[in-house]
Amino acid sequence: MGMLRKIKTAPLEDRMQQELAARRKAAESDPFGFAAFDHASAEMGGYSDYSYWGSTLRAFFQNRVAVMLLAVLLILLVFTIIQPLLPYQYPANMIINHPTTGVQMSNIPPAATTVKAVAPAGTRLIVTPWEDDQWMAVSNVLTTIKARTEFTVVEYGDAYCRVELDGQTGYVKNDFSTKLKLPENPAEVPYSSRSNFPIQLYTAPDDYTNNGAPLFASRDALRAEGDGAVTTQECALRILPGKAPFLFGTNNLGQDLWALVWRGTRTSLFIGFTVAVIEALIGIVIGVLWGYIRSLDRLLTAVYNVVDNIPTTIVLILIAYIMRPGVRTLIFAMCLTGWVGMARFIRNQIIIIRDRDYNLASRCLGTNTTRIILRNLLPYLVSVIMLRMALAVPGAIGSEVFITYIGLGLPVSIPSLGNLINAGRKLISTSQSYQLVFPTIVLSIITISFYMIGNAFADAADPKNHV
Amino acid sequence: MARYVFKRLLSAVVTLIVILTIVFVLVRQMPIEGYFDNFDKLDETMITAKLNQMGLNDPMHVQLLRFFRQLLRGDLGTSARYRVGAPIGDIIVQKAPLSIELGVLSMALAMLLGIPLGAAMARAKSKFWDKFGTAFIVFVNAVPAAVYYIYLQSYGSSLLKTSMLFSRDDWRTWILPVVSMSLGNIAYYAMWLRRYMVDEMNKDYVKLARAKGLSNVKITMGHVFRNAFVPMIQYIPTSLMFTVCGSIYIESLYSVPGMGGLLVDVINRQDNPMVQAIVMIYSCVGIIGLLLGDLLMAVIDPRITFAKKEDMR
Repeated sequence: MGMLRKIKTAPLEDRMQQELAARRKAAESDPFGFAAFDHASAEMGGYSDYSYWGSTLRAFFQNRVAVMLLAVLLILLVFTIIQPLLPYQYPANMIINHPTTGVQMSNIPPAATTVKAVAPAGTRLIVTPWEDDQWMAVSNVLTTIKARTEFTVVEYGDAYCRVELDGQTGYVKNDFSTKLKLPENPAEVPYSSRSNFPIQLYTAPDDYTNNGAPLFASRDALRAEGDGAVTTQECALRILPGKAPFLFGTNNLGQDLWALVWRGTRTSLFIGFTVAVIEALIGIVIGVLWGYIRSLDRLLTAVYNVVDNIPTTIVLILIAYIMRPGVRTLIFAMCLTGWVGMARFIRNQIIIIRDRDYNLASRCLGTNTTRIILRNLLPYLVSVIMLRMALAVPGAIGSEVFITYIGLGLPVSIPSLGNLINAGRKLISTSQSYQLVFPTIVLSIITISFYMIGNAFADAADPKNHV
Repeated sequence: MARYVFKRLLSAVVTLIVILTIVFVLVRQMPIEGYFDNFDKLDETMITAKLNQMGLNDPMHVQLLRFFRQLLRGDLGTSARYRVGAPIGDIIVQKAPLSIELGVLSMALAMLLGIPLGAAMARAKSKFWDKFGTAFIVFVNAVPAAVYYIYLQSYGSSLLKTSMLFSRDDWRTWILPVVSMSLGNIAYYAMWLRRYMVDEMNKDYVKLARAKGLSNVKITMGHVFRNAFVPMIQYIPTSLMFTVCGSIYIESLYSVPGMGGLLVDVINRQDNPMVQAIVMIYSCVGIIGLLLGDLLMAVIDPRITFAKKEDMR
């Protein structure tokens, strides 16, 4: 902004500086001489570089919170749009199954990576018959020891014990899940032991499975040996073949919450923006007609009285109840009443400024009505129109959440923030509350940003604040 | 004055009739399943017979006239699915008192907290109360209520060590629904009262009062507040009416057996006559609230003239 102004006004300012320097010189030589009328200096006094939009933007950028939120919002919007194009993303509605067991990957807590464990070089792994070009399904479970089978403990550790069974040597967990039967001094090996549960015999003192299911290792890090494989280097064992992490975890169906949240944000923002634009268009057109054409005033006032009297929520519920749930239904229902506020405001403003002198003059000069409305009237209202549009977006998103709660919202196949929050609502006091928290955070950032930015912009657009 | 009241009443009645007609016509567009409790078991002829018997196959204007005639007798029809055959009027009379009790409590709380908050914000411009109040107002207005109610219910009930659901006999379970219902109104009162009070404080009579040597408290309470409160009075009946009708969301969230929860119930059970009746009640409440607000303003504010208003242009 500032730069632009510099370019525009630099020549003028240069000239002023030169003039002033010349004046100062003249004053030094004759300090008490009369200052005669000088056309150039008269011009300088009338010079103003006030521009409405320049001042508005300058006032807006002085509001640090609003600027910060604007930056956050822009980043969020851009990210929402480009998210599907990023690498390692799951499709939003894909139910992710485990490739070997076929079990849905449900309720996996949020994690930055899918690496479940890291096996050091030289670890023996058992290969499960599943592989593709890049990945192999592996685990380190040698065998499952049946309940109450005796085995020999050859080395005692607090977490794992090295044991021997039928000539195989391996490790078993030593915790509440196995409850090994141990002598009084367990460190004095060897001795015979057993567990009352079936327990796993691992090749290494660590559990390289995903709760019993195989993990996936990159082929490059493995070397075939016998019926198994040995890691040739430190090897990350992942819960799925692929590097896409579950940043927000997964839901109970095994869908990636990260993908769902951004897809939902796209849906909700689409609804919000569409509603804001349609409301503004209808509101402006009707507001201008209502304010400008006297004979329409009675009719439109009557319509306004009716529409404004029905609570918005009730209209929303009724329309959503009658029509099939879907994005279009919601947008239609929200627009049905939303234009009223905008139209009324525009009407009031137009009535106030319609007969100002400059408009009378314009009309006398033969300007046609369209031009008067577009060039003389509407520019006055731009700031308020933008404020209303900014506030319509969080309003629409909130309505969507509400209508989904009632059970009249979008079908589950169209993820939206309302759907996600409604699904997460039941989990708030469980360990899966992240399924509510992530959509809520994204939604709150969006709505608060729009609200604050809208208000800050309206303040900035008020010429009273330009001084 | 009488003329004004009469005109205002007349316009309210006309609006009422228009809105009832619109709702009635809209509800007729819904699938007919909502008029039967056992739709799947009926065959074609039985459905037609039942529709004829209920008069749903008559032309729209005949249905509409019959509906208004019934309405004048106080008959809202009978429930089709929710409680088969029960008169809707009886169901609502049963449900309404609880919603009214909750609503009155929450309105009282909202005024008790919202008005002092607004006054404190106006007096201490850009000090603690102003910042606190502004943050509160931004939060309540920007974050959808549907979201923060969920958190309030969960954390509030574990904090108060009460059940998450409402029960009539346990007063502690009343706290959260009442508080939730009043949050929006607290923010609303605080926001507008602050705005009106700041406007009033810049007027000349305040300067005069200060020049007379009146104390700040006296100016704020005796002059500014009284003038600033007048425009807010117009809103109070509307918000009271809506709060009294019960918040649809909160009643359903806390399983309060009131009017708002009833609407969600009958929507989920697709009971067309009940949906129609409750939607109509909610639509009328807005009109009655605005009417009361206008009349109240006319009584209270002597600056409103009842002579024919000068044309604004």
